[in-house]
Amino acid sequence: MSSSNFASSSMSGSGGSSSGGGGGGGGPCGACKFLRRKCVTGCIFAPHFDSEQGAAHFAAVHKVFGASNVSKLLLHIPVEKRQDAVITICYEAQARLRDPVYGCVAHIFALQQQVVNLQAEVSYLQAHLATLELPTPPPPPLLAPPPPPLSIADLPAFSAVPATYDLSSLFDPTAWNIIPHQRHEIETLTSQFPTTAAPRGDGGGDLQELAREFLARRAAPAEPCTNQQASPLPPHST
Amino acid sequence: MNSSRCAACKHLRRRCPSDCIFAPYFPSNNPRRFAYVHKIFGASNVGKILQDLPVSYRREAANTLCYEAYCRIKDPVYGCAGIVDQLNEQLKVAEYQLATIRAAITTTLQPSYLLDQSLPM
Repeated sequence: MSSSNFASSSMSGSGGSSSGGGGGGGGPCGACKFLRRKCVTGCIFAPHFDSEQGAAHFAAVHKVFGASNVSKLLLHIPVEKRQDAVITICYEAQARLRDPVYGCVAHIFALQQQVVNLQAEVSYLQAHLATLELPTPPPPPLLAPPPPPLSIADLPAFSAVPATYDLSSLFDPTAWNIIPHQRHEIETLTSQFPTTAAPRGDGGGDLQELAREFLARRAAPAEPCTNQQASPLPPHST
Repeated sequence: MNSSRCAACKHLRRRCPSDCIFAPYFPSNNPRRFAYVHKIFGASNVGKILQDLPVSYRREAANTLCYEAYCRIKDPVYGCAGIVDQLNEQLKVAEYQLATIRAAITTTLQPSYLLDQSLPM
């Protein structure tokens, strides 16, 4: 299984077995090493965070999710699925540290944009093929009918979880730098989470503005925002 | 009792200060938003993430944190990664369809093909 192979090479370092740590002769697991605590037998983190690289992975997970929350999450997951869960949690944690504003959602937006663009191109070419017109230069993509705005409703619905997911590409950094080629009105992913204006604070949840700012930021070579960022930001009404 | 507490402070059963970091992004009329992020990330971690960002970026960050938390609650094993994988699959399908149609168009527009079509029976 691809996820297990990936996990064994990057996290547990022990072929995905449960032989690491756990208070045995192997020393503390990466999580307990990071937390500077005794690694007890049956430590929930031990099979998934080895003493070497696991500590670095756990550092990211702890910073974003917290050890306690991850422990509770893993406890509610069947043992055979925990490795996959750890992989995806590490992915989300690293994505959030890399981009504190969008985290892995930037990746989702970029992929969704690509899918929409390709599907629009497929539709256009299908129509072209159907008419069997004489060869004329196809209109530039920008003149094609704009794809419908993205919304959380367009994202794949939660259905029965497939038997396997290919997790090997999650940590491909090049996949995170995909920049949407076109700016479209995007209803934010928060259509299910209405952000009505609070009694105090900014003047209202302009969701379209959020999406436009996301696209503008993705298209600009600006550094991910940090607490000490110095790059000029577009004005944003708060 | 402060009746205008934000959803976060209501959930945490505490007083909602005037400079509450959560208040602008977790209004009291939608308690689910904060419940999700609290369950997955924890209030402290969410507060730190928001605090470390410029004010203009906090709303987007809160929204994406909510979405991630929602995905993780719905699918505890794969969370957002499941969505990424599904989109990658959709991408592959669309790319395959595109390649197929382009090949069909190329074939259709070949001069020999056009000539065959125009010959009288």
